[in-house]
Amino acid sequence: MKILIIEDNKELAHSMTYYLEEEHYICECAYNYNEALERLSFNTYDCLLLDIMLPDGNGLNLLNHIKSEKINSGILIISAKDALDDKIKGLEKGADDYITKPFHLPELHARLRAVYRRKKMDGYNDVRFNEILLNTDTFEVFIHENRLDVTQKEFELLLYFLVNKNRVLSKQSIANHLWGDHTDNLANFDFVYQHVKNLRKKIAIAQGNDYVETIYGLGYKFNASKYNGS
Amino acid sequence: MNLLNKISIWFIAIVLLVTPLSMYISYSNIKKRLDNVEIERLRSVNNYVAAQLKRGETPEKTSQGLPISIKPYTGSGIIPTNPEIIHTCLDNNGPSRNECKIQINTFVTAANKTYKISSYSYITSTEQIMKGMLTALLLKVLLITAIVFITARILSRYILKPFHHAIDNIHHFNIQKREPLQLLSTSTNEFKKLNEFLRLMTDKAIEDYTSVKEFSENASHEVQTPLAIIQSKVELLAETEINAKQAALLTDIQNSIDKLTRINRSLILLTKLNNQEFLTHEKLKFCRVEKETIHAYSDHIALKNITLNRHCEKDVYIKIHPALAEILLNNLLSNAIRHNVKNGNIEISLTHKFFRISNTGLPPDIPTQELFKRFKKSNQSTESIGLGLSIVKQICEVNTFPVHYDFSDGWHCITVYFDSTENHSLFTPTSYSTPAQEIENIKPSLNFAE
Repeated sequence: MKILIIEDNKELAHSMTYYLEEEHYICECAYNYNEALERLSFNTYDCLLLDIMLPDGNGLNLLNHIKSEKINSGILIISAKDALDDKIKGLEKGADDYITKPFHLPELHARLRAVYRRKKMDGYNDVRFNEILLNTDTFEVFIHENRLDVTQKEFELLLYFLVNKNRVLSKQSIANHLWGDHTDNLANFDFVYQHVKNLRKKIAIAQGNDYVETIYGLGYKFNASKYNGS
Repeated sequence: MNLLNKISIWFIAIVLLVTPLSMYISYSNIKKRLDNVEIERLRSVNNYVAAQLKRGETPEKTSQGLPISIKPYTGSGIIPTNPEIIHTCLDNNGPSRNECKIQINTFVTAANKTYKISSYSYITSTEQIMKGMLTALLLKVLLITAIVFITARILSRYILKPFHHAIDNIHHFNIQKREPLQLLSTSTNEFKKLNEFLRLMTDKAIEDYTSVKEFSENASHEVQTPLAIIQSKVELLAETEINAKQAALLTDIQNSIDKLTRINRSLILLTKLNNQEFLTHEKLKFCRVEKETIHAYSDHIALKNITLNRHCEKDVYIKIHPALAEILLNNLLSNAIRHNVKNGNIEISLTHKFFRISNTGLPPDIPTQELFKRFKKSNQSTESIGLGLSIVKQICEVNTFPVHYDFSDGWHCITVYFDSTENHSLFTPTSYSTPAQEIENIKPSLNFAE
């Protein structure tokens, strides 16, 4: 997957690049509006990460350009403004999703994958890893082709793990992914623990491998290479 | 008493004071004139008669229609050179009742004999003039009073229009809308001054308000990017080879970033609420949002083993922005869960008039209304940032929903009334017996037991 990161803050752009390159994506950065225009005219990208507030122009105008040039990239807006109308405007102008700063990198990645799935893999909604198969359309989980009965939260959790394989997922990041921004004033970490435990138990009962590891007190990790040796 | 009446009353008081005075002046003037005219006439008659006498002619008994009497002067001493004027107002009845007699005696010497020539006339008595003037005065005062009151009312509408307009505009002036004050132009100096002053004052207020607002808005937004950087770096750091000690440090950093993020988001939300960014004209099916919210929190309710009772009327439509409805209910419900005790209860009732959420919990340390203030927390639990209820309050204020927080018998009860016009007592007894109701009892459904 080829990604263009349009973000004026270099440190943040570097973090994103660093994270996404580990997923073997090709990342390019544009630090301002004109640079973004230039890059868009020479290259095609699968996905764009677009900061709305750029030093030399509004990211929303870039959306107009993308629309008029019929550039078929998945677009994920990144904004410091949690403004609703920005969100609506952005989505109306052809953006696929919207994420507010500050965000968790795994969350960004999960959103990016979701955008990519919708935009680029037309209708193919399966996410597969070894014996685990997820259908993002029907919210069904299959282990060894047997349907696993999971709640919606457990499904989301598993998908989050699969998208961010081999990554340390903090409890905060998982809680934020599962319950969103506005429910975050509750002690969600206990639920994260409960949900992870339930999910692991369900997969174990269906004779799937337990890939999920606990990383100290920090969070969890879906270790994809855990059963490679055996 | 309004200004107009005050001015009118003062004006009329002055009129009442001045009119009798002026009446007295005109009365005495008129009387003097009348007398003078009569005296002049009588005097000329006397002079004429005197001239006749001097010429040795015998005067007639009347001259110019006035009776004349000529008598030889019997008095001794010096003959008065000036005529003698005698006023007599007889208090008799009869035709001359309303008249006064005025008599002029002139002394003349002719052919060595002194004569006293007397002529007299009747003039209208002063009483009559007085009466006439009094009637006129009464009519005049009545007329002036009536006209003053009527014209004051009509004219004031015109003259005071800029003033009333300014007052109205100030009354409806909303600094949050940041619209400059629109005032009527006027030729009245006082109103000109007032308008100028008001315009300067409101413009300055708007300017200051905007700059403060922009500052807090920008500050909140500017914080977001550095926060995002810290967040991402910490996450990248967590990916590297770390030991348990370092992980513990990172966890603490994560928690603080998380809290900072939440505080900042809440502050941005409060700012936006203040900016009236959530205006809507559409009605929202509130009961549906409420159901969804409860569903979203079912895990949390189950974990604390809370029993939730729900009494809801169907088809409750409320005019509120969907995002606000969601935040409102989220905050109220999460609040009710967080401050609940284990195996506690939550009661939710939704009618067309109000939404009420009650939960069991420890008594608050501070007065309940205080809890709506920013960063006020009953028990300083680290999980809470202390902005949840102030957001609730702000949302209610934006939508003009009165909101009450009560604590009694171990129950915390927050009620949001949808109708701002009604007078709400703190506790309205409610019955839940109408047929179009949905009564639900959500028992902990998820089993998180070991």
